[in-house]
Amino acid sequence: MSCPGGICLEPGRRRRALILLGLMMLVFIVLSGFSFIKSRGQVTPNTVTFAAHHATDGKRVFQAYGCMGCHTIVGNGAYFAPDLTKEYQNVGPAWLAAFLPSAGSWPTEVAVLTQLQNKDIAEAAGVDNIEDYYQKYPGAKTRVERRGGQNTFMPNLRFRANEVGQLIAFLKYTSAMNTEGWPPAVKTGPLPARLERLYGRSVAPGTTAAPAPASTGQPTAAAESPAERGAQHVQTFGCTACHSPEDKKIIGPPWRGIYGSQEKLADGTTVTVDDAYIIESILKPTAKTVDGYPEGTMPTYEGLLNDEQIQEIIAYIKTL
Amino acid sequence: MSKPKYQTQRLSLRFFMLMLVLFILQVGLGMVLALQHSDPTLLAGTLNFNTVRSMHLNLGILWILSGFIGAILFVGPLLSRRELAAPWLIKFLFCALIVATGWNMFTQVFAMQGIAGWWAGQPWLQEGLEYIEGGRIFDTIVLIGFAILCYVVLRTFPPLREWNEIHWGLGIGVVALMVVWVFGLFYVPRLDLQEYFRWFVVHYWVEGVWEVIHISLIGILIVLLFKVSVKEVGYAVFWGVVLVWLSGLIGNAHHYFWVGTPEFWQFWGSLFSALEPLPLVFCFWHIYLDAHTNQKPLENAPAFYFILGSVVLEQVGAGILGFTMTFSLTNVWSHGTWVTPAHGHLALFGTFGMLVIGAAYYAIPVLRTGKAGHFDQRLGKLAFWLVFIGVLGLALAFALGGTVQVYIYRTLGLDWFGGDIIPSLSIYKILVAVFGFVLTIGAGLIVYDLSTLGRQPSSVAAPAFPPAGFKPHAVTGWSRPLSGFEAGIWLTAMWVFGFLITFNLLSFNLDVVRMQGNPTLPYLLAGIGYPGLFLTTLLFVWRFLASMEARVTAAAASMAAGGPPAVGLTQALSPAS
Repeated sequence: MSCPGGICLEPGRRRRALILLGLMMLVFIVLSGFSFIKSRGQVTPNTVTFAAHHATDGKRVFQAYGCMGCHTIVGNGAYFAPDLTKEYQNVGPAWLAAFLPSAGSWPTEVAVLTQLQNKDIAEAAGVDNIEDYYQKYPGAKTRVERRGGQNTFMPNLRFRANEVGQLIAFLKYTSAMNTEGWPPAVKTGPLPARLERLYGRSVAPGTTAAPAPASTGQPTAAAESPAERGAQHVQTFGCTACHSPEDKKIIGPPWRGIYGSQEKLADGTTVTVDDAYIIESILKPTAKTVDGYPEGTMPTYEGLLNDEQIQEIIAYIKTL
Repeated sequence: MSKPKYQTQRLSLRFFMLMLVLFILQVGLGMVLALQHSDPTLLAGTLNFNTVRSMHLNLGILWILSGFIGAILFVGPLLSRRELAAPWLIKFLFCALIVATGWNMFTQVFAMQGIAGWWAGQPWLQEGLEYIEGGRIFDTIVLIGFAILCYVVLRTFPPLREWNEIHWGLGIGVVALMVVWVFGLFYVPRLDLQEYFRWFVVHYWVEGVWEVIHISLIGILIVLLFKVSVKEVGYAVFWGVVLVWLSGLIGNAHHYFWVGTPEFWQFWGSLFSALEPLPLVFCFWHIYLDAHTNQKPLENAPAFYFILGSVVLEQVGAGILGFTMTFSLTNVWSHGTWVTPAHGHLALFGTFGMLVIGAAYYAIPVLRTGKAGHFDQRLGKLAFWLVFIGVLGLALAFALGGTVQVYIYRTLGLDWFGGDIIPSLSIYKILVAVFGFVLTIGAGLIVYDLSTLGRQPSSVAAPAFPPAGFKPHAVTGWSRPLSGFEAGIWLTAMWVFGFLITFNLLSFNLDVVRMQGNPTLPYLLAGIGYPGLFLTTLLFVWRFLASMEARVTAAAASMAAGGPPAVGLTQALSPAS
């Protein structure tokens, strides 16, 4: 810099600017230190568990699948899918456990109920019946009513054993985090009123005003044959979220032509798919796992399906 | 074929070519993302949205870095008046950059199987954190690459006591590039702490380091384009850098509002990051001064077009749009919605992308033909307008869609993306794809033009002077030189629209919106603010460039009258110059 008039103020100004910069760095470092001290009481992942799963493992799973590439977490991410920060608090562990394994379809009430039969999940949820669950986690009720059984846009990620539980533990941790009032509380009234405001007319539960993605079909009123009734149960219980009635491998073995076939199990033995095997798979799904499929993903339907219903489902599978 | 002044400047050419390849790939992936937004089942299971997006983000950083390296290698010898140090290391750096990029793209696919490559507590393949998705293997290669760049630049530069402001800017820039990267090299188990350090890398890179390199490169390119001395831009470079740091250092706190860090950041972040546009206004004003005090006609129009685009979009995308969402009271609504990518695309592509394309437009003709402006510049100008309109349109689509999203998602609390949000945004999703397509065409033209430019020296003639078919803007009178007063009016108009956008975000706090759910006011403010801002930006750049053309008119008139050319024109008018 030249010095006009022989008076050179520039070097002094520059020095003062750099000193100011140093001071600001000090302020920043002090504030940062205060942000993470223990006495602030911010929850840390090493203190959060869900059943036998740790939130610290869940965070690794969350990063490994690149969840932030579609979703947002504490508002950061891709804005392509919902923010997950307060998801646990909104829909609860049973809904998440019903949704996450296949993510291909939205859980039905029975699917949530099935998860609630699990002692660990009921304990984490703090309730053991669906009414209380809906009360405590209103988001689950809304979702079941508005979309239960329909297809989702989320790709099927085929989580491995434990990963679903670990993710739930992580979401439990983020839900417990103090995010200083973000996302802002909704103050525009009850859900039906808010839906009406958006669509300009009332929207009945179980529907959306917008065209829904290809639905798996609604159960018909009166089914005659056992196989038809079986197809209805499959619909109600959301079995096809994981089991394709065709050849596609979703999460569990596909059903086309499975009845009477030989399946190789994870322990190396072979089993014939007959009535006894299917009944056992529905009531005690952990007893035998087909080779190449994740272990322990399928919940038990003991107490949810009676013998007659199971027989009807078997009759349905036979037709495929 | 004539030569550039220093032999080793040629090494920059390969980095510019790599930049073009990565650029067009990134834009292509952006188009895939736009289509996946409209049809979420597209490529699901083959290349999921999150994988395509992480590639899009990583390539966006990598091609700009490649352009930065090219530009630094090109100006390094000119600044130092000697050849680059260790050319073999630069060749190695080039190979390392290709390997690292390929590896990065390859490892991103593992996210679909949930494989991060955990070993010794670190994810070695990919880590699924926005902007820094690469795993430790990639991170390490990049760190080595940065170290090589530091070594080359610092060894090439003259002894410390001979450094001018541009030496300091680039020297600090390349060292800080490496230092800040280190904060992203560790897995952090706490989400709040992880976000704290992730923004160290992302924010301090963009607003601390890239910005410094940006200011320095703009400075030296202005020196080269208008043949002024470094002293004339040195003042602007020094104060630009200092202002960036004074505002950006604590300004980083605008990322710490809602990530689990304490509330006091809302005060510090809102206050200091509101100052962040200051250096940008300063830089903006200087490019006006630098371009207008000196009356030489533009020798290399596309290079200046892109540099102007860079400074203007920095003002609009980083400065104004950044300002609108920087207060905790506005950010609470914009955070986590489409309002953010409007700012992101303009600030990142606009500021840094346009700069490195401008640098390439300056350097490539010199490297290939030894002359600065002797090439057909029409394609470059057309490409500029296409990418400029494309990226402004993209930002408009994101911003308006984002405003609708804020209302549905936050005000009405309808969090159903597939059922309520996606259908409501469909028109904006189509607009994103349409303007993305315009941008893609422009990008394709840039790649074609820069890769073929100057390849056949025999066919390259000096542009006709004045160019054939040249007509001043008779109707608009836009061939008048742009006065400082007029430039100030334009800038003020942009900020007025910026304030409307700020009020649009603020208005979501009003009871009439928040309690009664009436979106009229925010929609109205956004509907005026965003289109107004982007239209003013477009017209201003048009006006600025028309005023640059006016010099050609003035020179032609002066020649026709038989008088001496205007001051400073003699050199530019001589075809041998």
